[in-house]
Amino acid sequence: MKTLAVVITTPPYSHLTTSALKYVEAALEAGIDVVGVFFYQDGVMHANKDISIASDEYQAISHWQQLHQRYQLPLHICITAAEKRGIACDSMDNEKINEAFIVSGLGELVELTTKAARLVQF
Amino acid sequence: MTSTNKQAKAIVQQESGLAIINSKAPFSSTHGKDALDIALIFGSFEQKVSLFFQGDGVYQLIDNQDGTLLSIKDYLKTFSAFEFYDIEDIYICQQSLANRQLGEDFHISDVQVLASIEFSAALNRHQHILRF
Repeated sequence: MKTLAVVITTPPYSHLTTSALKYVEAALEAGIDVVGVFFYQDGVMHANKDISIASDEYQAISHWQQLHQRYQLPLHICITAAEKRGIACDSMDNEKINEAFIVSGLGELVELTTKAARLVQF
Repeated sequence: MTSTNKQAKAIVQQESGLAIINSKAPFSSTHGKDALDIALIFGSFEQKVSLFFQGDGVYQLIDNQDGTLLSIKDYLKTFSAFEFYDIEDIYICQQSLANRQLGEDFHISDVQVLASIEFSAALNRHQHILRF
């Protein structure tokens, strides 16, 4: 089976996010095993519940949530990057972090990379 | 060479491991530090990782720099720990150095200066690539 891991380093208001979501969705629809998405650098901002993007613009965060719900797609955020950007990650019931996301470390990126034949960064 | 031999050679050359391309100058953004953190994690999990320096990224290897003058934590010092993490493949793009009129005085040893074609061939030997 084809395996894919995706790294997101761009924020939710970046146009690259749109491409990333379309790419991941197409991969899932094609039956490719997407082992997980890792959010690093500004990418962790996707997990911030307080981000609000104008309703007539692309809703990246709700699209991630939909993919997570439909395909049980694991969404990992890097804790160090998240803490730097004001999303405190001390407890699991953190109010600032969207429930679809898992607080992880860079070790998770190693795991995903070893599991996946391909790694794509946006 | 027969086509079977060619295929066998292609398989041998298909190396695994992660390549990290560093393309940004060291102190204007956190890209260099963020890339370093990934390299060290892969090293500590005993995963093969190679570092590529290209474009303004070549400034990260130039000798006699001190980030603390800009009140920035000098992450470049950590480069000297690469051997403890078994990070041995460090490549720099010769053309990027020439374009910036930089010499080959690096703050770590064992940096391999490669012409563009060799640089891309080395990159191609890796299964995964991340760019910062």
